[in-house]
Amino acid sequence: MSPVPYVQGWRFLQIVALIHLWIAGDARPSLFLLILLLLILVCLRWRFPLPPWTAALDIGAAALFMPFTPLAGYALALPIFELALAGRWLLALPLAAGLLLAQGDPAVGLWFFAASLFFGGFARVSLRNERLYQQEVDEQRKARQELERFRTELLAAGRASAHQAELMERYRIARQLHDHLGHDLTGASLALQAYDYVKEPEEAAKLLAEVRRRIERSTDSLRETVHNATPVARIGIERLEQVVQGYGELGLHFVKTGDMQRIQAYQWDLLESCLKEALTNVARHSNATEVRIELQTGEAIVRLLVQDNGTLPDTGQPGTGLKNLQLRARALGGSLSISRGQGVLLVCVIPLEERGEPDEAADRG
Amino acid sequence: MTIFEFALKRSFGNPTNLIFLSLFPLAAIFLPQSELWPALPYGYHYFGILLLFVAIRLTAILIEDRTSGIVKRLAVAPITHFSYLSQNLLAFACILVLQCTVVVAGGVLYGQELGQPLMLLVLYVSFAFTALAMAVAWVALYRSKEIAFLVYMTIIVLLSLLGGMLFPVEMIPEPLSRVIMVLPTYWLTDGMAWVTSGGDLLDFWLANGVLWLYTIIFLTLGSVRKIH
Repeated sequence: MSPVPYVQGWRFLQIVALIHLWIAGDARPSLFLLILLLLILVCLRWRFPLPPWTAALDIGAAALFMPFTPLAGYALALPIFELALAGRWLLALPLAAGLLLAQGDPAVGLWFFAASLFFGGFARVSLRNERLYQQEVDEQRKARQELERFRTELLAAGRASAHQAELMERYRIARQLHDHLGHDLTGASLALQAYDYVKEPEEAAKLLAEVRRRIERSTDSLRETVHNATPVARIGIERLEQVVQGYGELGLHFVKTGDMQRIQAYQWDLLESCLKEALTNVARHSNATEVRIELQTGEAIVRLLVQDNGTLPDTGQPGTGLKNLQLRARALGGSLSISRGQGVLLVCVIPLEERGEPDEAADRG
Repeated sequence: MTIFEFALKRSFGNPTNLIFLSLFPLAAIFLPQSELWPALPYGYHYFGILLLFVAIRLTAILIEDRTSGIVKRLAVAPITHFSYLSQNLLAFACILVLQCTVVVAGGVLYGQELGQPLMLLVLYVSFAFTALAMAVAWVALYRSKEIAFLVYMTIIVLLSLLGGMLFPVEMIPEPLSRVIMVLPTYWLTDGMAWVTSGGDLLDFWLANGVLWLYTIIFLTLGSVRKIH
């Protein structure tokens, strides 16, 4: 909580104390003007941030009434507080000492002034701390936003590089098919065409042998290309199935529907992370015995649902892992939500790229 | 001065306001005089209470502006909050000063015994501004016009009771009689006592001075901009 209401409260409290002293004293109507003048300054300080020199106005008002009433001496507690609040407490000290000597009875007033001085100093420290905390919070918020931006950029870069890698691979396969398979098949086709015109049986047998040799080489080349193009590490739906198999003890049911080919590599990455996080959470925090996993690929979205039958109560906010996944899902234009009803249901939705997107068409040239 | 003109039109647009603003002050002129207390005719003695009611009726427009979102729209319009508030208050103040003038002039013409009518007018004008400032500070606290008005009615009754408007201040016991000096209504009755019985001129200006200081205080408190 901010210390400002306490500072304002202290000022108004001083006015109430003065009114009390005034009523308890002779309650002369003219002295009420002093209280009202001070009250105006207090109200102005409540509304606007007045500079420290305005404490001189309080001192002036009090000095004006000093010859007529001891109440004006007590009124100095207000400028003393203001000076201490502005960090000019050294200025307040001689003021307090001089006026106490002039008053003749320093007993009560001394402690009254000391309390004002101390609370003024304390309020100054509190206000400065509040300002510092505020600055720190602002900086942290800024850093967090910056981080968020970086993360989004990084995800976009990852997406772009995945796309680039896919293009490179496609180009490599096309080149391989063209350079080896294509040449051999063309050669074989030409040889077959020539076969029709060859009269000599020996020449014809030679040509046929050449055709066979080329077709065999093509078959080998094709097998080699396919073998090279097949990744060693599992990706896509196979990877997800592998993850599911890793949690065999949980009683998992994995259902998948739709065209899995439409999901991009970076989307598989997020789906895999979501599935791992959900299953880890079930294994660590839940008493669930059954988990149903559904992967549905539609026209525009891919949806991953992980539903368990746990009965343990909610423990509060989602953890860092889920929060990070939520951010990643948001960065891909999707969402990740967790709801608790009959067990925990985690739903991750990611929008799919439209079929035949312009850039893809352009890539195909 | 569009806001000023509009505030005047809105103030007279409501039938209840019209009664408050025209009928009641006119009726106050013709009320009779008491034999013992108060020294002024009834209409003039209770005129302060009427000013308090009129001020809260007028300033209810400010709450209406807040609840209907006008203040929010003004915040993005090329007009300052100060200009909005000052023009509204100027319009309300004009109405109140006009009422005070009509009442005092009417009393003089009708032949009411007003002591020093000019000084009474000065006092009424001072109190009119205080009442307006109090009402502005009061409506700044509320979101609902009805609740603000109802609670303020209770405050008006208390202020009038303790300020010596419904019975003489002398009847109030000693410790309380000192406390009531912090109420603005006390200074109005104090000033009215001076107008009828005379005395040190400084006392009269003291009462006016206190009322003006109260005006500044309440205006400072009430000028806070609240956007709901």
